[in-house]
Amino acid sequence: MNPFTYVRPTSEQEALAALAEPGATALAGGTTLVDLMRLEVMRPAKIVDINGLPLTKIETGASSIKLGALASNTDVAYHPDVVAKLPALADALRSGASGQIRNMASVSGNLLQRTRCSYFRDNVSPCNKRAPGSGCAALEGFTRMHAVVGTSRDCIAAHPSDMCVALAALDAVVHLKSRAGERTVKLVEFHTVPDDHPNVESVIQPGELVTAIEIPTTPVAAKSRYVKVRDRASYAFALASAAVALDVQGGTIKDARVALGGVGTKPWREPAVETALVGKPATPETFADAAKLALAKADPRPDNAFKVELARRVIARALSLVAGGSK
Amino acid sequence: MLAFARDWSPPRATAIEVRALRSHLRGLGAELVIVGAHQAWRLRPDDDLFALGELAARELHRHHGTKGEDAVLVLDPAGEVVFEHRQALVDHSTLLAGLTAATEAMLSSAPMLFTRRGFVSTCVVSGFATVVLAACHQKEHHDPDPAPAVAPTPAPIELDVVLDVNGVKRPLRIEPRVSLLDALRERLNLPGTKKGCDMGQCGACTVHIDGKRVLSCLTLAAAAQGKPITTIEGLAGPGQGDLHPVQKAFIAHDGMQCGFCTPGQIMSAAAVIKENRATTDDELREEMSGNICRCGAYPNILAAIKAARGGQAG
Repeated sequence: MNPFTYVRPTSEQEALAALAEPGATALAGGTTLVDLMRLEVMRPAKIVDINGLPLTKIETGASSIKLGALASNTDVAYHPDVVAKLPALADALRSGASGQIRNMASVSGNLLQRTRCSYFRDNVSPCNKRAPGSGCAALEGFTRMHAVVGTSRDCIAAHPSDMCVALAALDAVVHLKSRAGERTVKLVEFHTVPDDHPNVESVIQPGELVTAIEIPTTPVAAKSRYVKVRDRASYAFALASAAVALDVQGGTIKDARVALGGVGTKPWREPAVETALVGKPATPETFADAAKLALAKADPRPDNAFKVELARRVIARALSLVAGGSK
Repeated sequence: MLAFARDWSPPRATAIEVRALRSHLRGLGAELVIVGAHQAWRLRPDDDLFALGELAARELHRHHGTKGEDAVLVLDPAGEVVFEHRQALVDHSTLLAGLTAATEAMLSSAPMLFTRRGFVSTCVVSGFATVVLAACHQKEHHDPDPAPAVAPTPAPIELDVVLDVNGVKRPLRIEPRVSLLDALRERLNLPGTKKGCDMGQCGACTVHIDGKRVLSCLTLAAAAQGKPITTIEGLAGPGQGDLHPVQKAFIAHDGMQCGFCTPGQIMSAAAVIKENRATTDDELREEMSGNICRCGAYPNILAAIKAARGGQAG
């Protein structure tokens, strides 16, 4: 691990000032950052430990739940209001990582976690994300864990988060703060596709801090599920996962949300599937037909072509589960 | 350990020689301070050679009264010399031999006083107590210039931290990049917490911070200040005797084979029981999935956890 300086601010003002310095990186749970620093994939000159900031609260409002940036994955996953009003989010968080990592990891760190692409992590292979312009070893490499949608000629690394898939489906909003002020960004617009700049993964700017993630507690969100398929029963990243939400009234679908994980270079919302569901009867046939519209623009590699069909079946299964539970 | 070696200096030491010293230190888990005629260097197993300065060299010579003679000293945590080996350390091989002799003498002469682990930690905890071997080859090679030919590495910035481990406040001076795992094992004489993968994937390093199970390899020691830390050494609480009920259950149910993952398994299991979220066997397996056992002792681990949870550990 490269040497770095360490500060632990106790106010947002101090933290924002420290983060504005060149080479400064915020440390929350450390489960991504410390790992990648030990691999020397990340070499920040300065660590701003933000755990002294009062950002761990989970607040239930009249129409939303606001997660403090430093709320742990465990605390959110088992919070009674999250379980009751945003079940897909609770499911997604519980399906991610291990008990120890969920205790450490914050929701803002989960939002900003880096890809598990082995060529990015090995610190040796050509990788446009780690070393812009060096090439992409994955394009000719082993791609079982890579993305099939949102890819580019320069990068096919999958976004690894489960939580973000649920947040994408549930219309979450990210609250950001810098010395210049505050702003909010929709979760679905927070992460960016690689294009010709895979080193940029989100719209967050240097010196900006995620302060909270807010999720509307709509009726449709209360009828949501997260289904994840992986290579082993637990403690593995998704091959394909789906967060879905359905509002079914009198057997007819009134509202729907569908997002995919494990297949995209960012959490992948599927508006075409949602449109196809609304107004139809909530039946397995409807779900299967609508799911076929997912990943229309997929561009898989030979190793991960199976993900397209797998993701569609995961959507259909998740919809069936949530419809069964909502009747 | 301190090594006084008049004829040693970085410009003269080859990369292979430094690597050999590092490997020796890694085996011991020790630091070495090499004191030359005009300069002192600190060598840690995983760091670059770090120049301590001429003042440090002078002070070390003065403090230990070496009068320019070569020697290997081992210091205890209070900085007292517990072993002294006087021998001319004229080149790399005699330096290594001096270190080895000091190590062997320590281990063989005081078996009742020092375990290997005790010896190692004595060396480590004492901070500047590491072998000091310095002494410039310059003299030997008639080089009048005492200045090192290689620019010294920039000083790593160290922090004074206090870790609250198993109910005891432990002050430490460490670099911010030191993990909690390394601080526990290498500085605080708590080697029960194991280093498996060192990348957050195996669970062998599981400890409790604030009562919650976390991975000490992905925790910076500096960031763990101010919160109670519990390791396997401190898991058994008051009134539980030497062993926590989960430890007893692991013994009773033979929940291990080689034992390397066991401290992590036990720390995780104790937390899982306290969390009380898992009821079925499958849920227990899911909760324990962050602890990998290469021997495959999982069935017995599960049996031990269920027994401990049911209070049948006895």
